[in-house]
Amino acid sequence: MMKTLIKALAVAAAVLVAQSAGAEEKKFTVAYIAPSLDIDYWQWVAHGVQQKAKELGMSYVEYTSENSPAKQMDNARVAVTRGVNAVVIGPVSSTSTPPLLAYLAQQKIPVAFAGIGPQQGQTKFTSAVTANNYETSLAQGKYTCELAKERGGKEVGMLSLPQDRENAQKYLKGAKEAFQANGCDLVQMLETKGLTINEAVTQANDLLTAHPNIKAIYGMYDQAGSGAAKALATRGLTGKIGITVADGSPATIQLLKDGAIQGIFFQEAVGQGIDATQQVYNALTGTQTTQNMALIMPLVKATDINSDAAKKVIARVFPQ
Amino acid sequence: MNTKARSMTSNDKNSPTPRAPSVLLAYRSELAIAMACVALLVGVGIFVPAALSSGNFANILQASAPLVIMSLGVLVVIITGGIDLSVGSIFSLTGMVTALAMANGFGDVTASLLGLGVGIVFGSINGVLITLVGLAPFVVTLITYAVAASLAFIVTNGRSLGVDSSDYWLLNSGELLPGIPNFVVFCLVFTVVLEFVLRKITAGRWFYSVGSSPMAAYLLGIPVKRTRFAAYVISGTMASFAGLLTVSYILNAEATAGASLMLQAIAAVVIGGASLAGGTGSAVGAVLGALMITIIQNGVNLIGINSFWQGSVTGLAILVAVLIDRFSHR
Amino acid sequence: MAADKLPLISVRNLQKSFGVTKVLRGVNFTVSAGQIHALLGGNGAGKSTMIRIITGGIRKDDGEISLSSQRDTEPKIAVVHQELALLADLSVAENIAIVHAASARSFVHARKRAEIGYKALSLIDPHLANTALHRRAADLSMHEGQIVEIARALSTGADVIMLDEPTANLTAGETERLFAVLRRLVTETNIGIVFVSHRMKEIRQLCDVCTIIRDGMTVIDAAPLERLTDVEIVHHMGQPDARNEIPARHKIDHADVGLVLKGPECAVPVLKGQILGLAGAPAGPSQVIALLNGTARSSTWGLEAEGWPERPTSPRQAVELGIGYVSGDRRSKGVLAQLPIIDNVLASRRVREGRVFVRRSERTECLDLVQALKLKAGSILDLPSTLSGGNQQKLLIARWLGMSLRLVVFEEPTRGVDIGTKRDIYELIRRMADAGTIVIWWSTENVELLELCDEILAFDTDGQAKGLLQSSQFNEDALADLTGMAA
Repeated sequence: MMKTLIKALAVAAAVLVAQSAGAEEKKFTVAYIAPSLDIDYWQWVAHGVQQKAKELGMSYVEYTSENSPAKQMDNARVAVTRGVNAVVIGPVSSTSTPPLLAYLAQQKIPVAFAGIGPQQGQTKFTSAVTANNYETSLAQGKYTCELAKERGGKEVGMLSLPQDRENAQKYLKGAKEAFQANGCDLVQMLETKGLTINEAVTQANDLLTAHPNIKAIYGMYDQAGSGAAKALATRGLTGKIGITVADGSPATIQLLKDGAIQGIFFQEAVGQGIDATQQVYNALTGTQTTQNMALIMPLVKATDINSDAAKKVIARVFPQ
Repeated sequence: MNTKARSMTSNDKNSPTPRAPSVLLAYRSELAIAMACVALLVGVGIFVPAALSSGNFANILQASAPLVIMSLGVLVVIITGGIDLSVGSIFSLTGMVTALAMANGFGDVTASLLGLGVGIVFGSINGVLITLVGLAPFVVTLITYAVAASLAFIVTNGRSLGVDSSDYWLLNSGELLPGIPNFVVFCLVFTVVLEFVLRKITAGRWFYSVGSSPMAAYLLGIPVKRTRFAAYVISGTMASFAGLLTVSYILNAEATAGASLMLQAIAAVVIGGASLAGGTGSAVGAVLGALMITIIQNGVNLIGINSFWQGSVTGLAILVAVLIDRFSHR
Repeated sequence: MAADKLPLISVRNLQKSFGVTKVLRGVNFTVSAGQIHALLGGNGAGKSTMIRIITGGIRKDDGEISLSSQRDTEPKIAVVHQELALLADLSVAENIAIVHAASARSFVHARKRAEIGYKALSLIDPHLANTALHRRAADLSMHEGQIVEIARALSTGADVIMLDEPTANLTAGETERLFAVLRRLVTETNIGIVFVSHRMKEIRQLCDVCTIIRDGMTVIDAAPLERLTDVEIVHHMGQPDARNEIPARHKIDHADVGLVLKGPECAVPVLKGQILGLAGAPAGPSQVIALLNGTARSSTWGLEAEGWPERPTSPRQAVELGIGYVSGDRRSKGVLAQLPIIDNVLASRRVREGRVFVRRSERTECLDLVQALKLKAGSILDLPSTLSGGNQQKLLIARWLGMSLRLVVFEEPTRGVDIGTKRDIYELIRRMADAGTIVIWWSTENVELLELCDEILAFDTDGQAKGLLQSSQFNEDALADLTGMAA
């Protein structure tokens, strides 16, 4: 009887030791859940997450929610089943986040947001690494207005993201305030549906047809900049109407260098991925985390595009 | 044909063959659509006078070009009583393939041919599965729609591609005929040629025969399978060409470029007077349908209505067109 | 004239089997130039199979076929089917001209197309040629469509034109015109015409000789019609086997009048449990049937029955009132092809009883019915297409069994059904009547009506009710005379 008891205890001890040893060798896995992967921006965030995960020795898996809150919940469940330890997510919308956060909190999985933040009032998350859309937009609106005035007018047009998104609403709010404060009129705003350059070209053209006195265009997303530039080019108005763009990509950087657009407010997609991953890693390893990381999007003009500062920024925007 | 043996003592040798209805009458529904387009433009013009400027007309023409060309291809399929859901994805994939080829050093022409190849290949796949294996067109083109759409992402991992070639813009915006941009020429030529083939070449009539009464056509010795196959290859190729034009215009290829065009193309064909059951339709009508959709889009933007209303307005236009068609046949 | 020339069609000892069924057991058929040749035979006798083999649609198992042409070209046979082969959305002219196109690439000259169409049509119907040339084919009447098809067949230089029951949907006037055209064609161009029908009056009117096929063999081979009497013809076409098997007529207990069928100039009372036959061409009986199954928009016929409206306004109402309907046109009017047998059988029951949910007890219900019918079905979950035509017909009858209906209407229920199954169907109909249901039954096979009905209401080819025969007056000749049709 005594012998059996000792044997059992020995086995138990061995198992426990083995388990903890294994635990130390076990890698963390981080899941990145994108709202959709058909947009460059979210792919760049993915790149950032992947890059940082590798650096920190974590495994990486990727899911796309295809712009559906239901699929998003599904993805979270699958990730949990798969044994993922942390989640970095760009939600489909801010309003879709409460059930998601509740679920992940219950599963004790740290979650960080990249790009789009959670709904107002939510607290059960590790970190939200987003662009401070409002502050950025104040700056972008001001700059756009300056461009218009330089060109002898005060009418501005806007090519906007779908206004059901929280970031788009914040952008719009900031921009409107900036326009008003600086004496410019926002005469027309058109929302994109497909986020393609093709659509932006058509919309820019129509903006200018309806309001020939527009002297500057505020592009809320990257393709808007390419589209507006193309529209100006066909009309021979390159440079005569100012264009500002948020986000930034190789295409718009080239346009900036060519003088077709006048300013890019870079959203550090890659950077957001990197920072969000760092945050959940911190949560897993018990180090300090920062819950709200709303980054200002720095403005880069044609004149500064080749500076070191600019290069550093660009490195955190898209994969080089 | 031995008319001598058959000539009977017909006493109306002198009465002339009844004349066909005049061209104007034959195209009366197309005229109606054209008038509707004009009415729409004028309507928008009331709110935004600049809608009637030559600049805006030019914009409308440019914006409509890809849809026009794609609709011409879809028209042929619909005349045969089928449907092609894959045209939007073919459009996108063509752009990606062409841009990718150029990025890898292929010349403009070669890259464009590769892009066109996408349309021919997918059109042929559609054709084979539908005519030889006998699967339903909806199902087959749904499959190719999904496959081509995903390939458009896989090809560059979802990244959109810029086109560096300094000459490629010539395809769309160059001027072979001075003063007229190439895309206008393409649209006109394709429309005229297709309308000619549909009305005046036997093979064109076969499209209508197969769509109208496939059993009767078969009994009459018309090659039903070949005719249907041809329709799908035409549709794929046109969608491809439309994709090339767009890449040439914006010098950029995006994986979702063609996503919204498929439904618009079908809508254009239906507005233009074709029946989804097959057997009717004209190239002129399809083009006018495409123009109408573009005019609606343009009008919504100019007036500043939320662009999400475009769908409702277009839907209304289709309803009106179909109802007019239904009541004019009573 | 035709004596020393080769016959246009010569068929000797043609044999064909489909699986185990031997459909053609040595058929002979000879068509000579300049003749209108009637082809007669009951349902399932083998006429259609022979025609399909001659025109190259299916292959023969054995026998010889030779075709010849009067001109030095390939012999051509054109068939004008009952369901016309017209391209609905194209114009009449184009329908005729499209078969003349040299190749896929040939140019379509609108003027020439019109001329071809005009020339072809004016040979037959100058009026149509002048008015209909540019109309859409789908807008033509049945008759006009036939003319167009005949014109097309002619214009391609056919040596023989076969017409398959062409008068089924024509009025008497249109039939007259068609016959005049056919006679003229034969006289002037010396083509051969084969006329498939079983309407005696018409056959005598139009044809020179006739061939009768029965049970896959030729019993009368190109005999001149003047040498045969109607009785002889009917006798040759009859199906003595079936006749011997038909169950003996039952006696009706004296019951009350179930309903009165009121027509434009008659009122026919029908007793409960009685079988009333409707004989003759579709025109008349179809009106009565439409009245009874609720599909008539308006009608010259009316019903008088206790608790029933004068005319059921919809099929649904008809079912709810307790009227069953079985059609021989199984494909378009009966079988729910994509649904399994169980749904087919229980369809009307569910409507009548207003069932919302599918119950488990339905399985047993269905199995009982299937057994009662001696249906050979693999499983009640199979699709109806796994059953033979005759069994599918039984399926449609099964729908109404055991529902104690007041009236069941049958529309050519034994069309395309083999002899054995016919017998089963006759038994089922009898059983229904014995249970007190009124049966109203339309058939173009006079034989079966004469054997099974208590009364027969005969319609002529114009759709007028010509006479009511009581069982004591039942007589094949009398019926053939009233209806203008044989067998």
